[in-house]
Amino acid sequence: MSYQRRAVKSKAKRKVAFPKDWPTMVQVEPLEEGEQPRWATQADGATDEDSHPSLYQTAPERVPAMHLNLPFILDDLKTETSQKQLQTARNIMRSLDQPFLPPLDKATHIEFLLNPLDEGLSGGFVGLDASRPWLLYWCINALSLLGEDVGLYNDRAISSLKPLQHPGGGFGGGNGQAPHVAAAYASVLTLAITSYYASKELPENERLTVYANAFAWIDRGKLLQWIRKIKLPNGGFKVNEGGEEDVRAGYCALVVMALLGYDEDDLKGDPSIGELPLLDGVTEYFKSCQTWEGGIGAKPHAEAHGGYAFCVLAALCLLDDPEKALSRNLDLNRLVSWLSARQYAPEGGFSGRTNKLVDGCYSTWVGGCWSLVEAAANSIESSRKSVKMNIGDLWSRKALIRYILTCCQGPHGGLRDKPGIRPDYYHSNYVLLGLSAAQHYYYYDSTSVHSPVLAKSPFRHGHCWKSSNNIPKPSGGGGIGGGWLEGLLSDENDRVGVQHPLFNIPLGAESHLQGWWEWYNDVSDVEPPLKGNVAE
Amino acid sequence: MASYDSDEEIDYSTDPDWSHITPLPQDDGENPLAQIAYHPDYVVAMSYLRGVMAVNDHSPQVLKLTADIIGMNAAHYTVWGYRFKTLMALEASNSLEGEKANWSWRKELDWVQSIAKQYEKNYQIWHHRQLIIDHLNDPTGERERTNEMFASDSKNYHVWTYRQWLVKRFSLFDKEELDTMELLLKEDVRNNSAWNHRYFITLGRLGIESPPEGVIDREVKFAKDAILTAPQNPSPWNYLKAVLRKGNINVVSLVDFCGQFAPIDSEDDISSSHALDVLSEIYDQTGDLGKAEQALMLLAAKYDPVRKNYWRYRKRLLGSGESVPVASEKAPAVHATV
Repeated sequence: MSYQRRAVKSKAKRKVAFPKDWPTMVQVEPLEEGEQPRWATQADGATDEDSHPSLYQTAPERVPAMHLNLPFILDDLKTETSQKQLQTARNIMRSLDQPFLPPLDKATHIEFLLNPLDEGLSGGFVGLDASRPWLLYWCINALSLLGEDVGLYNDRAISSLKPLQHPGGGFGGGNGQAPHVAAAYASVLTLAITSYYASKELPENERLTVYANAFAWIDRGKLLQWIRKIKLPNGGFKVNEGGEEDVRAGYCALVVMALLGYDEDDLKGDPSIGELPLLDGVTEYFKSCQTWEGGIGAKPHAEAHGGYAFCVLAALCLLDDPEKALSRNLDLNRLVSWLSARQYAPEGGFSGRTNKLVDGCYSTWVGGCWSLVEAAANSIESSRKSVKMNIGDLWSRKALIRYILTCCQGPHGGLRDKPGIRPDYYHSNYVLLGLSAAQHYYYYDSTSVHSPVLAKSPFRHGHCWKSSNNIPKPSGGGGIGGGWLEGLLSDENDRVGVQHPLFNIPLGAESHLQGWWEWYNDVSDVEPPLKGNVAE
Repeated sequence: MASYDSDEEIDYSTDPDWSHITPLPQDDGENPLAQIAYHPDYVVAMSYLRGVMAVNDHSPQVLKLTADIIGMNAAHYTVWGYRFKTLMALEASNSLEGEKANWSWRKELDWVQSIAKQYEKNYQIWHHRQLIIDHLNDPTGERERTNEMFASDSKNYHVWTYRQWLVKRFSLFDKEELDTMELLLKEDVRNNSAWNHRYFITLGRLGIESPPEGVIDREVKFAKDAILTAPQNPSPWNYLKAVLRKGNINVVSLVDFCGQFAPIDSEDDISSSHALDVLSEIYDQTGDLGKAEQALMLLAAKYDPVRKNYWRYRKRLLGSGESVPVASEKAPAVHATV
């Protein structure tokens, strides 16, 4: 009982707004192995998780009981799935059980991520030879999340990516390789990040020079023609000519077009040669990928999967505001139910599919879905009520942060899927990006003012996203910025950079890039302000 | 030409087969980032591939070269694509099974299968197989090949995607397909990929069409039987809800079925959080908001606490008519005999 009293005390300071009619049961004692849990009803409405004023505190804290115990119900029937799950949960519980939450070890992660950029990679990485732009994007974006000035890599990023442009348009995964939409996506993101960092402190004319060096060499006309070749009559896209069809291809194609500043005229096509508008059927195709489970699969009828769900949600939100994009095209209730079921206890992390194990990379894929779904749901909520209302958080940010900090940090730097698995560059980026999703709240600002050029972009909605460090309260109380979870990050050293929830690059990088395309469109008959041979 | 799936080393620079090709070096740009220190064999093979592609050469030895590279990097989509074009060109000139190439589509498929077993997470292998089977217009043996893959990883997303394509392309919506899913689910009733495929072949493929007589009842029974073996398994619960939705059957019909796993007045006897979830929907529909709230409260506090915020959100929606994920307004007057 002393535990409950303490809980009440520490709660008083925080004013956590739980409804008074919300009695809950808390586990009163941590369990010894094999001991049955005991439960008691707590009248004042606090749950075990709320008894902690902060995840970051100087005194040892009690880890919430749900992270120290297996789920209350476990079926007797053993199958491969249940045995793997049990083994994983037990393994992860050992990592979760730490009185002090480990800090984000930025220095060693930075070292891990700088190494491939500065020193190159061993021959063992030959399996990523068709994913060269991905390696750049993962490392550079992860470094930006950790606060590194990746502008230093701008010139080398340009010189590394130039040989990947295919003479027929588009980008290959390496020099001489066939164009692939994921290669174009990762290349454009990389350049968007490094040029942003290299120029954000500069006056406008010098900034334009940086962007000219980074982007003017891309043959936008040929790239668009190539994108037309991977577009399918059903509204989907293939990843490359002769390659597989999935929603990843559609998402990557839309992001590339959005960031490279194509407008409605560019995309409408030429009917005289039988060219259809490039976005014809795209929304319908994405819609058709929602499955019987409520989640979203790689293509129609494919199993619901967190990675593909993110691709579809982000792509739909490029074409409309989040409320319309999600509620008009998807069964949002079933989507939210499926999304919510991706978070597991004791682990705290996300799985990508039903009955699969948690994996740190879904911190981005599923966490990124939450950013968009919450923005849509809060917008629906506020339009329904006369006063500004928020549904607040629909998932547990704290549990995800706990999983990331205790389980996903490799002891020698880098971030990983789960304990016992070696860190890699892919997981480093997507675990940190997921941490960013947990630390920030995103919202769509319909009052964003667009330049005349952007106003003509079908992707202009992607330029209305803003973020807040404060997570909204779950009811009419504080609204956006209410700081419901302000105790979440008392140690600001653990905060990572804020990212754009659709493009997965630093928030702000997309608007500087648009600034360049606007300038470029205005003066396209004039030589871009290339100065010196920065990129040669 | 000997079969190239052996470990036979190829010396491109001295082999007369390659004397007509000028190897092209890779341009990595100046001072590149994340450059890979390739094995010398890979550097040579790739420089010959670039040389071959530059002159659009689809002669028999390209099979050897592409296999050589795939053996070192199976994720090389350009090489897979070029290999497929070469196979097609050789077939068109009637030289695929000729003395020089001494190859066949059957040999190709066997070789691909051996690579697939080494690189299970690979996107390209199964797409390559799909291109070939589509071209041959013959699915014979293909279900067996995917079944072999399921033996080592029964949830391999790429293999399932291929299987689904195969079934759709050749209309294999037959008893064999249903039996295979039954078998896979018998081995592991938690294999959600098999549930997904079962839904596809029984109901999903129908689109907006109505299911044939008896299918809804059969699938409801199948899901319920599965739930009885492991009530905390989410897959058959989701499946059951989806089948009811497809059959326009109100979820309220599940009240007794759920009750046996979640007697909400007898908290210690609850054996399925998913039953609580469904019960909250049912009680919301029937207007028993107190019970609906109690079910959600049990989920938030005890049976699924990591999703507390979601359960609280569901509680807020109670009585608003919006928490019901089933098409309640379309529910037929007669509840199915489920």
